[in-house]
Amino acid sequence: MSYNTVDTENTLRTTTMSAYRKLETKSTQLLEKIRENLEQLNEKIDVMIEIQKHGKRELPEDLPEALDVMTLLSLPDHLRKTAVALCKLEEATADEVSEQTRRARAVESGYLNQLVVMGYMKKERRGRKAYFFVDKEG
Amino acid sequence: MVGKIIAVHSYKGGTGKTSLSVNLAASYARRGKKVCLMDLDFRAPSLHALFKDQKAEYWLNDYLNGICEIDKVLIDATKDHGNGGKLLVALANPSTEAIRDMTAKDRKWEMKALGRLLSLRSSLLNDGDLDYIILDTSPGLQYSSINAIVTADVVLVVTSLDASDINGSQRMTSELYDLFEKKTGILINKVIADYLSSEKERKKFDKHMKSVHRLPILATIPCYCEVLRAAGDFIFTEERPDHPFTETLDKLATKVEKF
Repeated sequence: MSYNTVDTENTLRTTTMSAYRKLETKSTQLLEKIRENLEQLNEKIDVMIEIQKHGKRELPEDLPEALDVMTLLSLPDHLRKTAVALCKLEEATADEVSEQTRRARAVESGYLNQLVVMGYMKKERRGRKAYFFVDKEG
Repeated sequence: MVGKIIAVHSYKGGTGKTSLSVNLAASYARRGKKVCLMDLDFRAPSLHALFKDQKAEYWLNDYLNGICEIDKVLIDATKDHGNGGKLLVALANPSTEAIRDMTAKDRKWEMKALGRLLSLRSSLLNDGDLDYIILDTSPGLQYSSINAIVTADVVLVVTSLDASDINGSQRMTSELYDLFEKKTGILINKVIADYLSSEKERKKFDKHMKSVHRLPILATIPCYCEVLRAAGDFIFTEERPDHPFTETLDKLATKVEKF
């Protein structure tokens, strides 16, 4: 085998590897994007379920004043746990809340979105992450 | 060791919350701990009377109002009351105007106040290196007390043997402490000596109290005239280290430490 043939083979291998790596990066990015979209869809479904449960009419007219301790006491147990955790963290993602409450992230995400729909919390997207917080000034 | 926040609460007034808070703080200081005692009873402040010689730049009210940071409120009482440890005190403003102002706060303010109280954990326990924060609260279902309960790791409920007090404490257990999933213990205070006159009587009393309170009973404190005579003028356990009241409080401190 001549040196030339070896060179050509090496170049071919490098090109293939680099194309493969590019493809891999692209598919990872694509999968990430799909995951992100699915998460957003999940959150939207949570909000829709919540509105269906409580009836849209009740919500805008009777928006709560503040997430104070009396409000915390009036919440159902599962939401109180989430709300207290967020009060302690001030601002957090569903992941961080689930670390505090030791419940699954998906569960906390659902509860946090319910609290947002109920008007007790706010949600802000920064890049790929959604942050929840209690609006103390608004 | 990670520091602990202890809230001392009761259903009714006059159960001895302040006396027990102060003496518990003193007990921890005696074993070399760094303690901060806070007066969260804004409707009827009382710690200022005991620490009357010390003045801080600001009151605890100002910290909750967002006017200053907590370091401007803290009085270092270690020189007179450190006893080998460290004792910091934060006082509530006793002026009528301040009391009126605190009772007129709206829900939004109370929500912010809860945030300020919750942030004490990082400023005093994590960064300030304290071992204990003891919150002396208002009786009953007041905003400031519930804020303190939400902030605390451990809630100590002081109750007398008064029927309405026992009943109120039972209701608060299911309607307040349970809802916030707090570690809560009962302190039965001012127990008449007759109930504890012999081992047999004491066992009978303990059995009865266990059937009344669903929560663990961390201390049964007899009513001592000497303690009443101290009348919030001095720290009893500091002046009388050999008194049985001091021994009871020391035992309570150990129990709370492990609780």
